[in-house]
Amino acid sequence: MKRSAAEIVREYGPFAGVEAVHGVTYDGTHVWFASGDRLNAIDPASGKVARTIDVAAHAGTAFDGRHLFQIAEDRIQKIDAATGKVLGTIPAPGGGGDSGLAWAEGSLWVGQYRERKIHQVDPETGKVLRTIESKRFVTGVTWVDGELWHGTWEGEDSDIRRIDPDTGKVLEQLDLPAGTMVSGLESDGGDRFYCGGGDRGNVRAVRRPRRA
Amino acid sequence: MESLITAAARALEAGDPLGALNRVALRNDAPSLALRGIAMAQLGDLAKAKALLRNAARAFGPREAVARARCVVAEAEIALVSRDLSWPVKALAAARATLQQHGDLANAAHAGHIEARRLLLVGRVDEAERTLAGLGAPPLPPASQAIRELVAAGIAIRRLKTKDARAALGRAARAARQAKIPALLAEVDSANLILDTPAARLIAGGSEHPLLLGEVERLATSTALVVDTFHHVVRRQGVAVSFGTRPVLFALARLLAQAWPADVSREMLISGAFRAKHADESHRARLRVEIGRLRTKLKPLAEISATKQGFVLAPRKTRDILVLARPVEEKHAAVLAFLADGEPWSSSALALALGTSARTVQRALDELARSNKVQSFGHGRARRWMTPPVPGFPTGLLLPTPLLRT
Repeated sequence: MKRSAAEIVREYGPFAGVEAVHGVTYDGTHVWFASGDRLNAIDPASGKVARTIDVAAHAGTAFDGRHLFQIAEDRIQKIDAATGKVLGTIPAPGGGGDSGLAWAEGSLWVGQYRERKIHQVDPETGKVLRTIESKRFVTGVTWVDGELWHGTWEGEDSDIRRIDPDTGKVLEQLDLPAGTMVSGLESDGGDRFYCGGGDRGNVRAVRRPRRA
Repeated sequence: MESLITAAARALEAGDPLGALNRVALRNDAPSLALRGIAMAQLGDLAKAKALLRNAARAFGPREAVARARCVVAEAEIALVSRDLSWPVKALAAARATLQQHGDLANAAHAGHIEARRLLLVGRVDEAERTLAGLGAPPLPPASQAIRELVAAGIAIRRLKTKDARAALGRAARAARQAKIPALLAEVDSANLILDTPAARLIAGGSEHPLLLGEVERLATSTALVVDTFHHVVRRQGVAVSFGTRPVLFALARLLAQAWPADVSREMLISGAFRAKHADESHRARLRVEIGRLRTKLKPLAEISATKQGFVLAPRKTRDILVLARPVEEKHAAVLAFLADGEPWSSSALALALGTSARTVQRALDELARSNKVQSFGHGRARRWMTPPVPGFPTGLLLPTPLLRT
């Protein structure tokens, strides 16, 4: 396993009226983050909030190209990114113990925090297709270039790790400085991860290691 | 972060404990237990709240030190509000250190405030002040600021510094309004009331009138000879004679001071100081001895002369004698003073606060209960005492707010 210190490239926020960041996603233009009772879109160049959607937003956030998916209480809401309208909901697999959310390969991937699990879920029905065991409390989840990454937070330590989607084995680990938490994780498809800073109310950009 | 925990924590912060319970009622993982504990505390079931928080502290893993520490702080606050002063102070200090180490400065300060409040409640004012000063001045959420100022005001009131107390209460009120917590505002109001309610009686030249705390404070700079029944001292500016262990001598001094410039008959001195109904020759002999002792003790401040029917006081270097007395004098005034906060107390907590034996407190409580001045509920060790309740008295429970951000 490769292990290194996470390189924090940039910090966004704190933002007015945002007490904590619960989930993060990226739609190709804006970085979206969940802050309890709304979704906020920030322009990654200026760091300014460009748009908000008033919707219950208690944990992970994901984007499938057209829709935003947002965990609230014990369900996953499907939201039209253009209008902000909630189109439907499916039950969350952790029954409310859910944390991170990602969209990849036609499925939703949901982190179940204290159970240290990641579920692959059918976005239409909420059916659990399979479950990957992790070793740590799972916060954010993201897929990039066929790699499954997730954020962890346990015992006051946080890291971003790449795991083998079949075995759950840790392949690579980026340690965040002590006391810095990852709540919500999303790749921009390039060399950046965006991660939520928990109750610091900020979003951080972390460099994704280059492939050799 | 966990979805339902976030939702429940947000409900709690918005003052909706039932909404929080709805979301985690059936869950028994550590954060849910902690949330349920806080919700139960806000709903007034302190016993249940305490048990849930203790279970939560146990359920958090060994590496979740901060979450555990927050549970300990919440439990300590519940204990303080239930006037259970026997809780382990060391555990709270350790939790405070953990929070400090991990950069949770707001909750570390909250733990410090709880420590200071406990010290203030048991009359250890200097230590309370040191604890408060030791916290430094980290940026605090409004609710914590309000508590900090309330503790500062409490210290100032105990020290008779009304100006400082008013200033602190002004700051507390501003912070409480910002925090939008009605219970906190009510607590500030009731603290303000203390400053506007007579704190003492002034007896001089045969007449008496009530004194506010500020007037008591001004008395400290008066040039008069003051017989202070709060502290059992007789003083004039910098010169003070303490009668802490000589209640009979102090009673004589007070009788003489209250009558001044007139004299007091032997019969009145004997019945007032010795609690004897009829003065016989042995009482007269004892009076001579005690007056002799009082004369020696009071030498720097006053002389005592014999008159035809008794004795008269002659103060030195001043033309005024004042007696400072409690607003209402009762045999068990000290016990009632603690119960006046409207909270239920155990007799052992009262004994701890008063620095006397549990047996003595129990006797006083039994006597007060017979005259309906106090009431009790519960049995055995769970028995609690309180004065008939004051409407709207706040519980003062303000658990660490960001307790559950995992």
